[in-house]
Amino acid sequence: MDDDEDEFDTSYYYDNNDDLDLEKPKKSDDPEYFEYELLKIEDVERMLNEEVEALCTSLKIAPSLAKMLLHAHGWRRSQIIERHQMNAEKFLVESRIVADKKNISQVQFIFSYGGGDRPGCFLLQEVITGTTHTCSICVRELSKSEFQSLSCHHIFCNECWDMHFGIQISKGLTTGIECMGSDCKLLVPEDFICSILKDPSSREKYFKFSFSDLIDSHSQLRFCPGPNCSIVVRAKEPKSKRVECKSCKSTFCFRCGIDYHAPTDCDTIKKWLMKCADDSETANYISANTKDCPKCHVCIEKNGGCNHMQCSKCKSDFCWMCLGEWKTHGSEYYECSRFKENPNIANESVHVQAREALKKYLFYYERWENHAKSLTLEEQTLKNITTRIEEKVMNNEGTWIAWQYLLKAADLLKKCRYSLQYTYPYAYYLDRGGRKELFEYQQAQLEAEVENLSWKVERAEISDTGELENLMDIAEKRRLTLLKDFLEV
Amino acid sequence: MTNIAQARIKREFKEVVKSDEVAACNITLELVDDKYNELIGKIAGPPDTPYAEGTFCLEIRIPETYPFNPPIVKFLTKIWHPNISSVTGAICLDILKDQWAAAMTLRTVLLSLQALLAAAEPDDPQDAVVAQQYKENYSIFEKTAKHWTAVYAGGPKSCPELDSKITSLKNMGFDENQARAALSSKGWDIERATEYLIN
Repeated sequence: MDDDEDEFDTSYYYDNNDDLDLEKPKKSDDPEYFEYELLKIEDVERMLNEEVEALCTSLKIAPSLAKMLLHAHGWRRSQIIERHQMNAEKFLVESRIVADKKNISQVQFIFSYGGGDRPGCFLLQEVITGTTHTCSICVRELSKSEFQSLSCHHIFCNECWDMHFGIQISKGLTTGIECMGSDCKLLVPEDFICSILKDPSSREKYFKFSFSDLIDSHSQLRFCPGPNCSIVVRAKEPKSKRVECKSCKSTFCFRCGIDYHAPTDCDTIKKWLMKCADDSETANYISANTKDCPKCHVCIEKNGGCNHMQCSKCKSDFCWMCLGEWKTHGSEYYECSRFKENPNIANESVHVQAREALKKYLFYYERWENHAKSLTLEEQTLKNITTRIEEKVMNNEGTWIAWQYLLKAADLLKKCRYSLQYTYPYAYYLDRGGRKELFEYQQAQLEAEVENLSWKVERAEISDTGELENLMDIAEKRRLTLLKDFLEV
Repeated sequence: MTNIAQARIKREFKEVVKSDEVAACNITLELVDDKYNELIGKIAGPPDTPYAEGTFCLEIRIPETYPFNPPIVKFLTKIWHPNISSVTGAICLDILKDQWAAAMTLRTVLLSLQALLAAAEPDDPQDAVVAQQYKENYSIFEKTAKHWTAVYAGGPKSCPELDSKITSLKNMGFDENQARAALSSKGWDIERATEYLIN
């Protein structure tokens, strides 16, 4: 019955964004694995039409009503069929597709839906007595052929319907357009609107907006959020996984459509981004690009992604995040990512608690913001690497091909940093306890590896290939371990 | 102004003038000029509410796209009500927003507003301060609303104790209306109201 499965051929692809020489993770091993396909508008239209037709056949109703039912009930066809079989009339009334007989005053009402050329709509020969009628909207007396109503029998003239549709569409409403009657919640079907609406630009808007309404209501579909991109992603399961649009190159979360955010879930990232927007003024001071060297106090600007800084003046190594000595940042001791909560906080005054809460938020915000910035700085690193490779090749230090491993390393670095950035909102909302400790342990491990890799990438020689590939392997493994353990599936 | 809007208002105006509610002095409608795009409505405060015996004036502006879009209505008479701004008179009522239907009329609007006075919806507030008072301390709310009705809407004199509090703030040099608003929102606590006015 459900032929969805068959349409889902094996045309999925897994885009790892890099062709590392690392062993490609298997389906079951990779926590980020996700099956999806990218569709063009025409494909989606065809697919939706097939679903509409299938429902028409099963329920023997008109296509425009089937479409309304699918839209109202999230395209869950089997559920729709079941409820329709239980009590068709009640189901259609609840779906606001036909009027409740109790609410209709006219006596001559004949209950029927489906069939005919305009289902759900009545030419009112039986309702209007006499040859003319006064429209209650525009107060004009017109011939009765000028009037139409939906099954609720709220009769209005075609010109008023037309005005109503035009105004609702200009407000962005399409599938939600209701009858003009007082307190009437009946939805107006597509074919009724199309038979009346004259203005070509309104018609065009109607089709465009109602199509995107249909996609929004379909749990398996999502428009690519890229600017002016008209690709639709289809995935069998609406999970918060990474999707990359081949056409405009944007990557995003399938479930919520914003930037991919593993290991944080959709609700948490939304909460976090809202908090950041609200508190941006407090946090803004962090956004400065310079800090002073902790030893010689010369002003240092961060111009690459790596947090392992070396002062160009006094040659001291320090951490950009905590300004502590880099020596203490070996993988065993890396604690820079962990916020040390005051254990006695519950007994402190409200004032101290508020200050502590702000401190905690700023701690996580600072790290989140720093990775975001580092990511943009990695672009610069990538450019530097390209120039360096050119120079090295000119000086006969290795071939261009041999140097390509460095670009791959830079690519992997970007991916790891991206995941790291999104570990901070997750940690911020995680309750204290064993799970948080484990998370922060893994986060610290990944932080340490990423900084190692970052430091090495900026300085690698051709002889370092082996070491660098080793570092890459470790970093990616740490990243996948963290995601596997904490990414909700 | 489109012909439809004008034709509709002309008819609605007649409808209200001839209606039973007008006969009972419950609602009235007046044209501001002969352009039919601005009207003044008046509604009587419903009996057994803090608004009883008051008369509340409304400014009604008719948009070009009427009746496909709702009329723009606000209270001209100052009123203490969770769904009406005590400062601007702006109204939070679904039928004046997304629940408007073209088949509704000014008469429906006036009657709905009268019903709103009888049954406030503090969970969907326009004035958060009033709504909070309504939910947390109804007796103070009731007293305040009655007082506002007496002062601004011609209702019966209510609580002399409140008047004396306003007088004492007036004697300190504050404007009467500001003093009333401050006292009302601070639960008629003179100290807190003074503090509020000074800041």
